[in-house]
Amino acid sequence: MNYLAVLLDAKRLADIKGTALEKKVTDMFGGAIKALIMEMPEEQTKKVLSAFPAARLDARFFLEEVPIAVKRAIFEEIKRSKSIEPKVIDAVMAKADQLKDAVAKESEYLPVPEID
Amino acid sequence: MELKMKMPLPHGGRLVDRVVTNPRAGKKMAATADAVYDIKPTLYNGMPVRNVYREIMSICYGFFSPCEGSMTKAELERILKERRLLSNWVFPYPMLFDISPEDLKKLKVQEGDRLLLRLKGQPFAVLDIEEIYEIDAKDLATRTFGTPQANPEVVKVAFDNKHPGYNIYSSYNRCILAGKYTIVNEPKMRSPFDRFWYPPAKARAEFQKRGWNTVIAHQTRNVPHVGHEALMRNAAYIGDIKPCDGIIVNAIVGAKRIGDYPDETIVEAHEMVNIAGYVKPSRHLVTILLWDMRYGNPLESLLHAVARQNMGVSYHMWGRDHAALGPYYDTYAAQILWENGVPSFGFDKPPYAVDYGLLMRPQNMAEFWYCPKCTEVTYSENCNHDKERQRFSGSFIRSLLAEGVFPPAVIMRPEVYKTVVKWWKILGYPFNNKKYLAERENELEIDLADMKL
Repeated sequence: MNYLAVLLDAKRLADIKGTALEKKVTDMFGGAIKALIMEMPEEQTKKVLSAFPAARLDARFFLEEVPIAVKRAIFEEIKRSKSIEPKVIDAVMAKADQLKDAVAKESEYLPVPEID
Repeated sequence: MELKMKMPLPHGGRLVDRVVTNPRAGKKMAATADAVYDIKPTLYNGMPVRNVYREIMSICYGFFSPCEGSMTKAELERILKERRLLSNWVFPYPMLFDISPEDLKKLKVQEGDRLLLRLKGQPFAVLDIEEIYEIDAKDLATRTFGTPQANPEVVKVAFDNKHPGYNIYSSYNRCILAGKYTIVNEPKMRSPFDRFWYPPAKARAEFQKRGWNTVIAHQTRNVPHVGHEALMRNAAYIGDIKPCDGIIVNAIVGAKRIGDYPDETIVEAHEMVNIAGYVKPSRHLVTILLWDMRYGNPLESLLHAVARQNMGVSYHMWGRDHAALGPYYDTYAAQILWENGVPSFGFDKPPYAVDYGLLMRPQNMAEFWYCPKCTEVTYSENCNHDKERQRFSGSFIRSLLAEGVFPPAVIMRPEVYKTVVKWWKILGYPFNNKKYLAERENELEIDLADMKL
């Protein structure tokens, strides 16, 4: 089994507040990071890796470096379906073509994070 | 019983020094050339994956001692069969100067001729041609890395064009010019690499100046996370009668993959570990090695050992998946080599125990992870909290950065993150993007003085 971590910032945490998803939030690194960890069957992992060549499966069996536009779409689907089951990924992959432009832009440019 | 250690001798007994530092003498030598050739990068799918100039630099400045140039056919065969030079000293990879049959025809050179190699439009080095022969690049690539049939101890999957090192060797030109290199126009290292440039003679002098007898090397091609830092600090507890005097980070600078961190970011991020005081600057030194990574796990570890022993390093930490990529080698191939040897690669004993081997002592390390129960970054062989522990992952950190998340301090030091952002502003995103790689190939890491012949 492989995994995908959907990171939760304050806004995303607020979005799922009061839903069943709240109980599924995982503390990573002692609570420094909060995430929803999705299980990804092998076939589904292969599909994502082939659709988005920048994505990689790391030594922890987590799918990483998935385009941000795809990660955003996954979170939106989680929010809509209130689920972190594999069907969420299936729903996003079904409209992968619609994400192509956003993914292409991302491979050229991402804004520099604003820090002090 | 002598317990105190001394700095190891160079591999092969003496450091190769093939750099003419007197401009007049260099010009005179360059003027004796029979032909001139402009160095070209090795391309794979139109992208530069290697530039032989980096090998010439590493050879002439002594990192790859006792290798002195492009290998003859007999030496190449010995490397591929036994990982030994003709002088018997252990050496892992072919070092070859390759050109196309068309270029060879145009040059009209033969054995005994001197070829002037130009870089960035300037005279750079000469190659005294001892032999001209042909190779089959695919065969070279396959035999360089090994096969599951011939090297079952460590090769798990046959190499193919998904492996960047395989792509480098399989993209070599057919004709090989063998012979010694001499740099005739002393290069000036560009910023920021200039302050990390410690060729072996200079590194040894620096270690002596700092009073370092025992030094441990950390191999890197990455921005350091806290797990890397823990590895460095803890591995350095080995030593003689006290922990190692010094820790050197030796970053591989050369062609990289799109999405990897740029070399500028890597070296400055490592330097930030000591500037910000996480390891005292008096105990920590960041250095570079010019080399286009072959991702050859056990073989790459041998090359790292050669270069770093030449720099005066006594210990080397080897971890899981050392300089590896993909499923080709056993995850622990480098550690297997340094613990037991790999007979099919010519090592019935570890590289430090064979004749003409390395004087480098291995420090085979398991993993460092963050454990919320231990409330620290801890060694995997100590911590027994399997359910709680969190492994570090460079890909996970790159995902964090891309999502604009300021990585928590348990993962990456804030000063290191700010260094990544500094270079993100300068070089853009994705890291090592096509534009950056193309510009970098033009500029390279050195500048050469104008030398009119």
